[in-house]
Amino acid sequence: MNLLRFVLRRMVFAVLVLASVLTITFVLSHLIPGDVIQAWLGKEAATQPKLAALTAAKYHLNDSIPVQYYYYLVNMLQGNLGYSPSRGFQPVTSVIAQTLPYTLQIVFFAFIMTIAIGVVLGVVAARYNGTVLDKGIRIFYLGAYSSPPYFIGVVLLIVLSFVLNIPSGYAANPNLTPPTAITGLPIFDSLIEGNFAYFESGLVYVFLPALTLAVATFGLLTRVARSSLLEVMQTDYIRTARAKGLDEGSVFYRHALPNAAVSLITISSLLVTFLVTGTIFVEDLFGYPGMGLYVVKALAGTDYPGIMATTLVFAIIIITTNLAADILYAIADPQIRLG
Amino acid sequence: MESDKTATKPRKSGRVTGALRALTRNKESIFGLAIVVSFLLIAAVVELSTLLNVTILPYSPTAEVAPGALPPSLKYLFGTDNLGRDLFSRIVSATPYDIAIGYIVVGSAFVIGALLGGYAGIRGGILDEILMRFTDVFFALPVLVLALVIAAVLGTGVTNMAIALMIVWWPAYARLARGEALKVAHQNYIEAARLSGNGHRKILFRHVLPNISGTMLVYATLDIGTVILVYSGLTYLGLAVHPPTPDWGEMVSDYHSYILSAPWLALFPGLVISLGVIGFSLLGDGVKDAQETR
Repeated sequence: MNLLRFVLRRMVFAVLVLASVLTITFVLSHLIPGDVIQAWLGKEAATQPKLAALTAAKYHLNDSIPVQYYYYLVNMLQGNLGYSPSRGFQPVTSVIAQTLPYTLQIVFFAFIMTIAIGVVLGVVAARYNGTVLDKGIRIFYLGAYSSPPYFIGVVLLIVLSFVLNIPSGYAANPNLTPPTAITGLPIFDSLIEGNFAYFESGLVYVFLPALTLAVATFGLLTRVARSSLLEVMQTDYIRTARAKGLDEGSVFYRHALPNAAVSLITISSLLVTFLVTGTIFVEDLFGYPGMGLYVVKALAGTDYPGIMATTLVFAIIIITTNLAADILYAIADPQIRLG
Repeated sequence: MESDKTATKPRKSGRVTGALRALTRNKESIFGLAIVVSFLLIAAVVELSTLLNVTILPYSPTAEVAPGALPPSLKYLFGTDNLGRDLFSRIVSATPYDIAIGYIVVGSAFVIGALLGGYAGIRGGILDEILMRFTDVFFALPVLVLALVIAAVLGTGVTNMAIALMIVWWPAYARLARGEALKVAHQNYIEAARLSGNGHRKILFRHVLPNISGTMLVYATLDIGTVILVYSGLTYLGLAVHPPTPDWGEMVSDYHSYILSAPWLALFPGLVISLGVIGFSLLGDGVKDAQETR
C-alpha cells in the first residue's frame, strides 16, 4: 500500500470515528427523560421562552428522529452548538472561542515539557542501564505515572506555593493588557506584539498546570524510550559500529538514538490524548480559564450544550492528533504502510 | 501448545508453579503483590464488616468526631478533615468501591473482548473485518469524553460511570484476543477439531479461549490499576459518588482548597491512589516477565 492510500484510509477512519462520536451523543441526548428543551437549557429554560423556541426550531425537535438526527449533524458541522446556561446563555461557540486558546497553551507547553523530561530520563536510564541512576529514574516515573494528575498538582502546589503565588481564575496577570489575536494563543500573540510584560506573566501562569500534566505523562515516554534504546543496542549494526572501534558514547548517541526515536512517534498520540483530557483536571485545580474549567463548571450546572460541545471539541482534537501521528509514523517507518 | 487433554493437566500445574517461582524471585513484583493483597484484604474486611454490621473502623467515616482539621496523631492517624471527620476511616471505607470498580470493568472488558475478538479471529473474512472496524471506532473514543457525555445525559453515579468505563475498555481486549486467536487458529489441533466437525462456537470455547486467556490475564492484571486511576479521575470531577459517601478522588477534590492550612487532607487520599496503582503495575510487570521467561 502506498503512502497516499494509507493516509486516505486513515482519514476516512478519522471521519468515521468523529461520526460515531456525534451519533453516540445524539442517541444519548434522546435518552434523557422528560422534555428535551428543558434538559438542554437547564432549570432556567422557563425564563428564556425565546431561546427555547429558537432551539426547538433549529434542531427540529418536533419532527421525527431521523429528521432530528439530520439537523443535529448539520448544526454541529456548522458550529451551531446551542446556548450555554452556565455562561448566561451565551452561544457555546463563543465560549469555546474564548476558552480553547488557553487549553491549547497548556497542552503545547505540557507537550514540550513531557518530551524534554521523558526523553532525557529515558536516554539516561538506558545509557546507565542497571545502575542506581536507572533504578532511581524507574521509581520516579513509576510513581509519577501511577498518580492522578490532580494529585501531582496538589503536591506541586504544596511544594511550590511559597515560590509562586498566583491568583486563581486567570491565564495571566489580570491588570495587564492582553494582546490582540494574531495566532489566537495569547502567549504567542504577546511575543509577536512585543508585549513582554504579558508574555512573561502568561508563562508564569501556564507553568504549574503544564508542569503538572508533564509530570503525570512523561513516564510513558521514558519507559518506551528506555526499552526501545536497549532493544536497538542489541542489534547487529550496533555491534558493527562497536567493532569499527567507535567509543560507547558515540555508538549510543549517534547510532542508537536516532533509530529508537521512531518508536516514540507511536506513543505520541497516546501522549496527546493524556494531555488533552488531563487539562480538565489541572485547569480545575489551578483555576486556569480554559475549556477544561468550562466543562467542570458546565457539569456542576448541568449545562448540557456546554458539555456536549466541549466533548466534541476534545474528541476532534484527539482524533486529528491521532491521525497526524499515524501519518507521521507512516512517513518515518515505511514498513507500517504495508500492514 | 498441547494437542490432547491428558498432556495438559500435569504441565499446567508445572507452568503455574514455575510462573509463581519466577514472580517471587523479583523483589519488585513481591512488593506489588504485597500492596495488591493488602488492598484486597482491606476491601474484603471493610465490605464484610458492613454486611455483618460490625464496626471495625476507628470512627464513623461520615460523622463529626473532632472539632475539625486536626493534624495526624496517634488518635487520628491521618488527622481529621474540615468537618471534623476522621480521615483514616474515610479513606479505608472507600477501598471496596474503588477496588471493585477496577475488577468489574476489567472483568467485563475481558469477557466481551475475548468473545468478540476470539470469534473474529477464528472466523476471519468479512465478519472479522466488520467486527474489528467496529472495535477500532470504540477504541478511538476518549474515556473521559465519553464519561462526561454519559454523566450529562444519564446523570452522575457509580453505575453510570462503570458503564462509561466498560464501553471504552473492551476494545483493547478484543484486539488482543483476536491477535492471540489468529496465532492459534491455524495450528494442527484446531484444524483437527474443525475437521472432526466442530462448529466455530465449540472451537472458540473448547480450544481457543483456554489457550488465549493466559496472555489476556497478564494484560488484565496490569490494567486494573489503570481503571482505578481513571475512575478516581471521574470521582474527582464529582461524576461518580455523592457526598457524604467518601471516595479517594473525591476527597482530593474536596480538600484541595485546604492545601495550605491542612495539606495532609489532600495528600493522604492521593497517596493511597498512587500506592494502589503502583501495586497493580508492579505486579502486572512481574507477571508479564514471569510469563515471558517461562
